[in-house]
Amino acid sequence: MTPEQSKLAYELITNPPAGSKLADAKDWGVDLTLLYANLKRTPSERARSFASMVHSYNGLRDAARESPPSQ
Amino acid sequence: MKELPEIFKILYDASLEFVVIGGAAMHLQGSAYVTKDVDFCYSRTPENMRRLATSLAPYHPKLRGAPADLPFTFDARAIAQGLNFTLTTDLGDLDFLGEVTGLGSYKEVKASADTQIIDGIPVLVLSLSGLIKTKKAAGRAKDLYVLPELEGLELLKRKTGVE
Repeated sequence: MTPEQSKLAYELITNPPAGSKLADAKDWGVDLTLLYANLKRTPSERARSFASMVHSYNGLRDAARESPPSQ
Repeated sequence: MKELPEIFKILYDASLEFVVIGGAAMHLQGSAYVTKDVDFCYSRTPENMRRLATSLAPYHPKLRGAPADLPFTFDARAIAQGLNFTLTTDLGDLDFLGEVTGLGSYKEVKASADTQIIDGIPVLVLSLSGLIKTKKAAGRAKDLYVLPELEGLELLKRKTGVE
């Protein structure tokens, strides 16, 4: 991502155009800063971050199974 | 789970024809969506099915969730007799689909894919428009839930020109 692209992307996520799909996503509850952070990575960096994301997901799932909510 | 670039290299070195789809494709396209497996669409030519079986054989593929005593060998014959496979392997949970809802078979999925260079290897990744199309066609709650993010992300990438 070039500095110009970064600036434009940041403007768009902080002030999504009214009625746009980006504004819809924000209203839906999507954290647009996470999209911005991921887009700043190269495809290779995104690929390498995937496994740690899966490990985190599995860790949370296993922890939830071992510690069910109390009644 | 092995790192994605390592998995891609194994499949690439086997000359496998595949497209990354599903949650992994979403992540590679910039989404913050969290998933636990890696989905691929594969070409169902006899040669490609042989390549798929050979490339995964060293990683002990098993049908995910199947009884341990169920006899199953992930070979070209088994692949030809099936279509979609959800596998547990030494590389992680990998799903190989012969067809993708809303798009079709490998040929159509490939036509909706972008090429991303990942650690020097060209990898076909389903485009955001392709992901949106298949999520709409699948129509399950979990598919529709991610639509606003995908559509917002598509707009963000289009406006900024970011890959």
